[in-house]
Amino acid sequence: MSDFVYYSGIPSFVVMLGIAMVAIVIFLLGMYINMKKWGSGSASHFLRVFIKKINHVKLGHHPRQSLLSTIFLDILIQRRILRRSPFRWVMHMLIFIGWIGMFVLSMIFAMFEMLHMIGIGNFDLNVIRNSLDFSNEILGYMLLIGLIIAIVRRLAISDVSQRTQMFDWVLVLGTLVITITGFMAEGFRPDAITGAWTFLGANAALAQTFALFHVAISLLFCIAYIPYSKYMHMLAAPMVILVNGGGE
Amino acid sequence: MADEEKTMPEIPKGDPFIKTEMIDPVFMMQYDACTRCGECEKWCPALDAKDGDPKYSPMNKITRFREYMGQTYGLKAKLFGSKRLDEDDIQDFADVFFHCSTCGVCASVCEAGINTVDMYEATRQQLVMRGNGPYGKTVNFPKLIGEYRNPYLKQQSQRLDWIPDDVKIAEEGDVAYFAGCTAGFNQQVLGVCTARVLNHLNVPFIYLGEEEWCCSSAIIRTGQPHKGDIPKITALHNVEALEARGVKQVMFACAGCYRVATIDWPKQLGRKPNFEVVHVADLLAQLIQEGKIEWKKSFDNKIITYHDPCHLGRHCGVYETPRIVLDNLPGLKFVEMDRIRELQRCCGAGGGVKAGIPDMALEIAAERIRDAQAIKADILSSCCPFCRRNIGDGRDYVYDQQGSTNFDLRDNPDNEMQVEDMIVLVAELMGLSTQIKSQEGEEEKLDHLK
Repeated sequence: MSDFVYYSGIPSFVVMLGIAMVAIVIFLLGMYINMKKWGSGSASHFLRVFIKKINHVKLGHHPRQSLLSTIFLDILIQRRILRRSPFRWVMHMLIFIGWIGMFVLSMIFAMFEMLHMIGIGNFDLNVIRNSLDFSNEILGYMLLIGLIIAIVRRLAISDVSQRTQMFDWVLVLGTLVITITGFMAEGFRPDAITGAWTFLGANAALAQTFALFHVAISLLFCIAYIPYSKYMHMLAAPMVILVNGGGE
Repeated sequence: MADEEKTMPEIPKGDPFIKTEMIDPVFMMQYDACTRCGECEKWCPALDAKDGDPKYSPMNKITRFREYMGQTYGLKAKLFGSKRLDEDDIQDFADVFFHCSTCGVCASVCEAGINTVDMYEATRQQLVMRGNGPYGKTVNFPKLIGEYRNPYLKQQSQRLDWIPDDVKIAEEGDVAYFAGCTAGFNQQVLGVCTARVLNHLNVPFIYLGEEEWCCSSAIIRTGQPHKGDIPKITALHNVEALEARGVKQVMFACAGCYRVATIDWPKQLGRKPNFEVVHVADLLAQLIQEGKIEWKKSFDNKIITYHDPCHLGRHCGVYETPRIVLDNLPGLKFVEMDRIRELQRCCGAGGGVKAGIPDMALEIAAERIRDAQAIKADILSSCCPFCRRNIGDGRDYVYDQQGSTNFDLRDNPDNEMQVEDMIVLVAELMGLSTQIKSQEGEEEKLDHLK
């Protein structure tokens, strides 16, 4: 492993960066369209109202909790789901932590990659990548288990199955495809330092193909597609909780 | 049909098929926050009353409106113009949308914390402005309240008619009693009992009388506040009239009026009134805890339960004080039903359902009666004239269905569950008359102590 193969396994970092830029532009365009829709034709009107309402006082005798409590208990811990269904909370938290955790780790490594590219800092990217492997695997399995529960739940529980629409399946199955391609890309890729092949065996071409597919679909499906799909709830729901003050 | 569609002109860009100017930006965002978890479906009383027909599910209503918004304001609409939606489909959606008592239990259980009540009311208003609502007889509310200042076709000069000779109303003081139209005209026993209880407790109160106008709750709940701007006009009138009298507290015994005074008046006026809004249950609970209430009569070991009115409980957060009062009534054992407090099952009267879709209101009320029957309640009490009326109707409906098979009822009709407002029970146990003015001289008609 004389030449470092970037984290994603894609030979050209520029390809990944290009896809990321496209995804972000599509995402921002979608968010702008959504905010215009919410603000009766004006995104800035929406933003003004949204910010103003974050700290508004609720009318009536409902206890108002602090903003920190809302962020921690309602957005991060998601106690509203826990209160209604511990089973669904476990499923949701597995997906939520797995997803967000891997996103954060990916961003951290991408930052190191960029620093490495422009020559800032003296570090070994292989060591950094390997140090993140265990966390990534744990988070990946959490996501996979959460998704399997989600799919089985939608198939096996009759009332859930009855109300499931294609709208719901696109989200679950799309996320599953991303998760599986991520595992396969990892499975075909040799260890960064020892060069030992991992569980799917040695296949550099397949490793790069899956990595490219995984990264491209992740960026396009999970960033660019958010404002145009049911994924939007991932952003809108925390924003709503923030404005409405959360609480049980 | 295909040819007809072809001849329909394209909606020009910038002229959307469904406008949203009445829907607050945050409410619009809420439509995109629904995770479709389906929790609301487990609790929705309207969905239950419609035998689980999925089109009445809160989740599917939200999804449907979100789809309309996507078709009207989404990327495709931006690029190629807003899609012409099927008018029949929109009308069907509006009809479904009005099949909801806006009780707000869906908001209580919503994982995304969506404030469904305000969102539904704003969306109803948009649908009404578009010509797709309201539903049924509720269309008359703005005309009635705008013209008569009450929904019961009464003259303002009749506002004082409910007051019996023995009730003392102060000329001035710190406390005002806002009776509301229903206690003043339609269920006068509630106004009479509240006034007698306040007199008995030496709480002097003023009453606006002819100056009291309807709170306009029915107009707001059915999405018609823009028609003549009546809720704003009535809010301004009532608040200014109360403030001009210099009162510090305004007492309510009606959950609907209390909700309007607590939540809608500040919204309509853009400020809080210069007086405290108090429910009579708050006062009674305080006096009970201070040991200042003496009961003259007692029930004979009956079971009582409490139905949280949506407007008092979920909407305003008042859960505890009515329970303190009922729990302290002598000779009664207080037992809770299934589905209480923020998860309470609605009686079915709110949101214009009682006036617009009475069959559905009755079906929902019947479920609440069955909840009370499950704990063998002798008395089902509440703090709202609309709950009292609709649950009472629901009881009769259930008993009509059960009458021939229920041995307790068949052999002894006195075993029927009583549905009564907390303030009437309090008056009776204080030894006060519950007779209304038109019954003066007659034998006491209401007697729950038997």
